Amino acid sequence: MRERETDVVVVGAGGDGPALAWRLGQLGVDVTILEAGPFYGNERWAAPNDAPGGESSTDPGDLSGERYDEQFTAREGEMNDPVAGKLRWGPADAERSPWQRAIPQQAVITQVAGVGGTTQHYYGNHPRAFVPAIDEQPHWPIDYDQLVPYYQRLEAVHPIEPAPTTPKAAVFFEGARRAGYERTDGYNVTSEGYRPFPNAILQPDERLMGDGGERDGESAGGEGESATDEYRYPDYEGDTLAAHEHQGGPHPRGAPVRERARRSSNVSLVPRALDTGHVEIRPNAFATQVLTAGGPGPVAATGVEFRDTWAGTVERVHADAVVLAAGCIETPRLWLNSGLPDDGWVGKGLTTHWFDFVAGVFDSATTETLVGQPAVEPHQGQAAGARVDVPGAGGIAVNTFAPGLTATTMYAAGQGEWSFDRDTAGEPWDTCGRLAGRELKERMADYRRTLTLICHTDDRPRQANGVSVDESTTDEHGPVPLVEWEPHPDDDARRDDLAVRAAEILREAGATHVHRADAAPILLHMQSSMAMGKVLDAGCEAHDVDRLFVADHSALPNGVGGANPTHSGQALALRTAERMAERYFGGVDEPLGGA
Amino acid sequence: MSYTQGTFAALVDAIVPETPGLASRGEEHVPGGLDVSLEAAVVERTNRFLEGESRVPLATVVAALLDAAAVELLLRRRATDGLNAPAEAFSRGVFARLSRRDRLRALGLLEGEEGAFARIADRFDDAGLGVVTYLAGSLPVLVQFVYYSEATAAAGETRSLGWRQADYPGPAEGYPVGMGYEIEAFEENEYESEMRKDDAGESEDDAGGEHESGGSER
Repeated sequence: MRERETDVVVVGAGGDGPALAWRLGQLGVDVTILEAGPFYGNERWAAPNDAPGGESSTDPGDLSGERYDEQFTAREGEMNDPVAGKLRWGPADAERSPWQRAIPQQAVITQVAGVGGTTQHYYGNHPRAFVPAIDEQPHWPIDYDQLVPYYQRLEAVHPIEPAPTTPKAAVFFEGARRAGYERTDGYNVTSEGYRPFPNAILQPDERLMGDGGERDGESAGGEGESATDEYRYPDYEGDTLAAHEHQGGPHPRGAPVRERARRSSNVSLVPRALDTGHVEIRPNAFATQVLTAGGPGPVAATGVEFRDTWAGTVERVHADAVVLAAGCIETPRLWLNSGLPDDGWVGKGLTTHWFDFVAGVFDSATTETLVGQPAVEPHQGQAAGARVDVPGAGGIAVNTFAPGLTATTMYAAGQGEWSFDRDTAGEPWDTCGRLAGRELKERMADYRRTLTLICHTDDRPRQANGVSVDESTTDEHGPVPLVEWEPHPDDDARRDDLAVRAAEILREAGATHVHRADAAPILLHMQSSMAMGKVLDAGCEAHDVDRLFVADHSALPNGVGGANPTHSGQALALRTAERMAERYFGGVDEPLGGA
Repeated sequence: MSYTQGTFAALVDAIVPETPGLASRGEEHVPGGLDVSLEAAVVERTNRFLEGESRVPLATVVAALLDAAAVELLLRRRATDGLNAPAEAFSRGVFARLSRRDRLRALGLLEGEEGAFARIADRFDDAGLGVVTYLAGSLPVLVQFVYYSEATAAAGETRSLGWRQADYPGPAEGYPVGMGYEIEAFEENEYESEMRKDDAGESEDDAGGEHESGGSER
């Protein structure tokens, strides 16, 4: 068996692991990140889905915009197909199936393997946690203000700025104003209001910022039209408002990886981590065991055993500290499969933002009046650029997709009875539940006149919800994770409140038809399954295993109020890097969070 | 036509059928999933859904489950339309003999908490059986995603039937649709916590277990 040593081994190069590695690298600590999935946009893996390629990457010069353009086609089937897509939870090898989870209920999990993790299909949404979710809910062992310096650092470097207004956002803002919401201008959310999304997306070129007229669907490079070189780097820098965040967000075409507009962690943080000269990323490496020393009594983590997903060979990395950043499902699975102590909260307390979706269809005359064009055009402009915050209940946001995902989220992933068996008389929506047949095809024929909103519920951590392992089902990485999540009636009430508000916003804007998805559990935003304050101490080190840290969204003690979790996960990961350096690597001269 | 393909054809036909009634919105809105061999695309993905040691052809299992659910629907007197002669493209199974809506009601029994499989899984606390509910719930997702993505486009076609019906032009390099900024920059606004950690009371949120209050690090 191959074995080697480093200072810190991190399991997972998703949204948060690279943030921690970047900070540790700045402090001179050598880090190896093991990533189970592929490394897209890297010269060392020219055909990452077809052949093993290189072994690891340490040189920022390996990052390749050319490869990124080849691999991220922006076609939704090719990118997002849950079984065969490039952005799926599965091995790099396209010939193989996704990795298995035991999910004994109706649910959809949309995690993504690979360097960048689920941020590869995220919408760049980076709001801070709602202040009361940290300071008033009973879950966090630290105060909100201790996160603020880390938020500020990320806001400066990604950067994170107000999303530009586009027609669909303008329709939403008008609905929100008419529904009585006031605009809020701050990073720190304590009260209800609407605002542009704080997004980690580079601002668009001024030439894409018109005055609201002459926009009727004119595009460049659309497949149905003659392709042009317009909107390509270096002629254009920053966002091109192409709305392909979910398909990998590769614009502007032709740019170096680090200058792509949508700041997924592989675009924004991985290059910075590699720049430190102390970080190595090894994709195609599935961690199967946390190695420990000591016991009975106190145990300490000493390394990680992993399996090469192409060769099937097993290797070990020994380290002075181990960080689990494999996400809310795989981090507890790895913990449990390693036989580490379980205090009853390992894998538990999972929050999911208990999503729902509400869509409104608009007449051409209405959008002409509101925004000077005959349709909403959901496929143009940032996918999610406008939101309403409702501290205590959650958030409502514009969330738009290409047609396949629109059908999936709005009309296919619902729970309970199909729409044709539901009576909506007296409800705020005209239809509710899953659509089929003529009704489905009519709604999808209205795609370009439809504005889709997402509801992010501030669901609360509960011990009955979460991840264990299914001992009866084993794959090549051991017993598979068993995922169970169901809403508490209080979470249902919060979600209902948000859905009613979303319907009101759409009606106020003039929607002629409103549909509520009544979604089944969609596990995309996941938090708090290895919570700080429960499994972890206030520095995110395990209570029961020394030198073992967690730096992914599972360490968040709750769902941060329903705000998108990436900003909080990354901020906490930066803080955890400093705590690690203080405890085991000689301290931090200038901690971001102050001495 | 095999049993598996024919059963999936009946499923596809229930979700995205041919719709002659939509001709008024344009002839492109008439064809449905069977016109683009959607059932084959869904069977292929279902077979690749799980990578198990046994490599069961999962689509055949799912087809049998749909028939079992159809029987359950009939026995529990939930079918509203009775049995019909199956269409030519369908299998001869019970599921394919149900009306379109009854097929979806049968699917609902497979995925819902009150269906026989969910109840048996619950009684024996067996996650393996419970996975049937997950699989069943994934079927409409697969059918609609594949239909409305580019995946069913024929060779040489740039847009699939689903993309054309949605009037989606396909990926673009960009759109000049910016309208300025509602806010130029966010402020580091004042905030005040009404409660600090020390006096935060217990709430309904801890229904699942005791909250362990952690001390602030400062």
